[in-house]
Amino acid sequence: MTTASRQATIRFPYKRSLGPVMGAFMTALTEQRFLGIRSGDRVLCPPREWDPNTAADLAVEDLVEVGPAGTVESWTWVAEPTEAHPLDQPFAFALIRLDGADTTLLHAVDAGTIDAMATGMRVAPRWRAERHGHITDVEAFVPGETPTGGGGFPAEEPVTMMEYDAAITYTLPITPNEQRDADMVAQGRFLGLQCPVCSRVYLGSRGYCPVDAVALGTEHELELAQKGTITNYTIVTPVQYPGQTETDPFPRVHVLLDEHEVVIGYQNLIEVPLDEVRIGLRVQAMWDTTGAAAELEGWIPTGEADVEDPNLVNRIC
Amino acid sequence: MATQRTNDDIAIIGWHQSPMVRVTNKTETQMLLEVITGAVDHAGITRDDLDFTCAGSCDYVAGQAFSFVQNIDALGAWPPKRDSHVEMDGAWALYEAWVRLLLGDIDVALATGSGRSSTADPNVIYPMEMDPYYLAPLGVDAMSFAALQAQALVTSGAVTERQMAEIAVRTRRDARSNPVAQVSGDFDVDVLLAEDYVRSPLRRHDLPPITDGACAVIIARGDKARELCERPVWITGFAHYAEIHYPGLRDLTKAESVTLAGKAAGLEEAPVEVAELQTAFTHEEPLVASALGLGADVVLNPSGGPLAANPIMATGLVRIIEAARQIHDEGRQRTLAHSTSGPCLQQNLVCILEGN
Repeated sequence: MTTASRQATIRFPYKRSLGPVMGAFMTALTEQRFLGIRSGDRVLCPPREWDPNTAADLAVEDLVEVGPAGTVESWTWVAEPTEAHPLDQPFAFALIRLDGADTTLLHAVDAGTIDAMATGMRVAPRWRAERHGHITDVEAFVPGETPTGGGGFPAEEPVTMMEYDAAITYTLPITPNEQRDADMVAQGRFLGLQCPVCSRVYLGSRGYCPVDAVALGTEHELELAQKGTITNYTIVTPVQYPGQTETDPFPRVHVLLDEHEVVIGYQNLIEVPLDEVRIGLRVQAMWDTTGAAAELEGWIPTGEADVEDPNLVNRIC
Repeated sequence: MATQRTNDDIAIIGWHQSPMVRVTNKTETQMLLEVITGAVDHAGITRDDLDFTCAGSCDYVAGQAFSFVQNIDALGAWPPKRDSHVEMDGAWALYEAWVRLLLGDIDVALATGSGRSSTADPNVIYPMEMDPYYLAPLGVDAMSFAALQAQALVTSGAVTERQMAEIAVRTRRDARSNPVAQVSGDFDVDVLLAEDYVRSPLRRHDLPPITDGACAVIIARGDKARELCERPVWITGFAHYAEIHYPGLRDLTKAESVTLAGKAAGLEEAPVEVAELQTAFTHEEPLVASALGLGADVVLNPSGGPLAANPIMATGLVRIIEAARQIHDEGRQRTLAHSTSGPCLQQNLVCILEGN
């Protein structure tokens, strides 16, 4: 079964401060060195700010150099890497105990084939030429005792921040309700759904009554009016964040549709000066019908007299 | 053995699971609407009878910040309800609901778990929930974490790849009688073992399916439970423990937090007949069973377990439903449900259930 769907990508561009211990570890990576941290009679690598068993504070003075070579304690072969993985070709994720450390570091091993992998094998880092103080400054570990790659320069200043920019692409199913709603909108019409219990009417994309928790389907459909009254509004002064294409202040209005009393929120209001945007203004839908599917451009005044009702402002849903 | 229950004892009195499918055409709210209606019907109550509600879901899975606020629509939250949410499996939502009822001032609570894993690549979502400095930038996915633990267990001799395949064959066979199972049927161990690794030593049969699904459970305090339900399923122990996040700091051949959660839930007081374990990877089953000290006579995952259907954020709560069903419908007296969270079984929950 294929389901109609739409795609959306969400980016997560985080900047994180590293603190004294991880900052020192990341700075050392730019110098092609690994640091662990002494905790009691153990050396932890990667280093932590606290002992994970006792929660005792660990001090920057207890950082010690470990590696660069180490021993694989467990591993898994990744035959088909994903785009999130550090290497494009088949590789292993491995838990690597660097020489001098008592715990393992999780990283990639570029061994060519699964047959080259074994628990207990020796590996050494392959450094990137450009290092920024990031766990991926090690491109991967490779079989053997000798570090490879590298060159370039260490960081000029201690590394204190880390960037992490991930993105997830979602494929969201279009539900039968949403599809029927979209089909009506494409004809320049509004679909409504009436709850059989409380008789409230909702926009057609919702698919259920949130008050009575009843699913709404085709038997509950009705067509909504094209005219209505502004119940509430705001004037948005755009702040220039990424993705904001507006530069001048613009209105967003809530419209209470005639007849079935459905509120359609956050709508564009067309051809009204900002100081004339007001509660009670009568408006009608304006559709762009030049394309194959109609698109709602916004709302324009009907020219009718304003509605005088002090309770209108409360109708935002 | 008839144990005297008091009004401070809390019982499961109703539940419902959605179909477990690879891709749903419903929103998460619509899935919840269906299972909450199913659960209140099963308990013979209405939504108005719910004094407290708690949901388990995940924004990264839903692809939306604060995604749970619109899921409240599925409750019919007018007049408003006492509601809470955990960014955890629904098993932890039930734990919170159970703790809430222990306060003694209200009688009936609902817990849900829901997730649509089909909406994005789980291998891309999972790293987002890991240590952001040392793990997430490497894109280490759930399968890779599991495989590192599996390799450690295979190397130590605790389990073999053949035993793992046998577990897959057994759970898929058991899943044939589970009406909502996604993966079921008769398979041959040697045929499965001839397949390639996805993440060595894990083959496809060692991995759970990608599942969209939801479930709901209703619990009530003693007197109310007896009033509403002919055969309440009593929660006699409920506990969870977490250990260190970074797998390199742990002995992956052990699952200490499983053992502690079992002890705290009173597992040692009497044997259990059935255990529903959230072992989404084959090698985890013997590890968790041994950490709990379960004998060979304990029936493991008769529903097929997470290898038959794995609705992320609901998989653990489904285990509790299946363990309750064993008492309510199959005449068992004492069963166990387990849920887990985090890489390589980092956090573990045990729930002990009894009939009367």
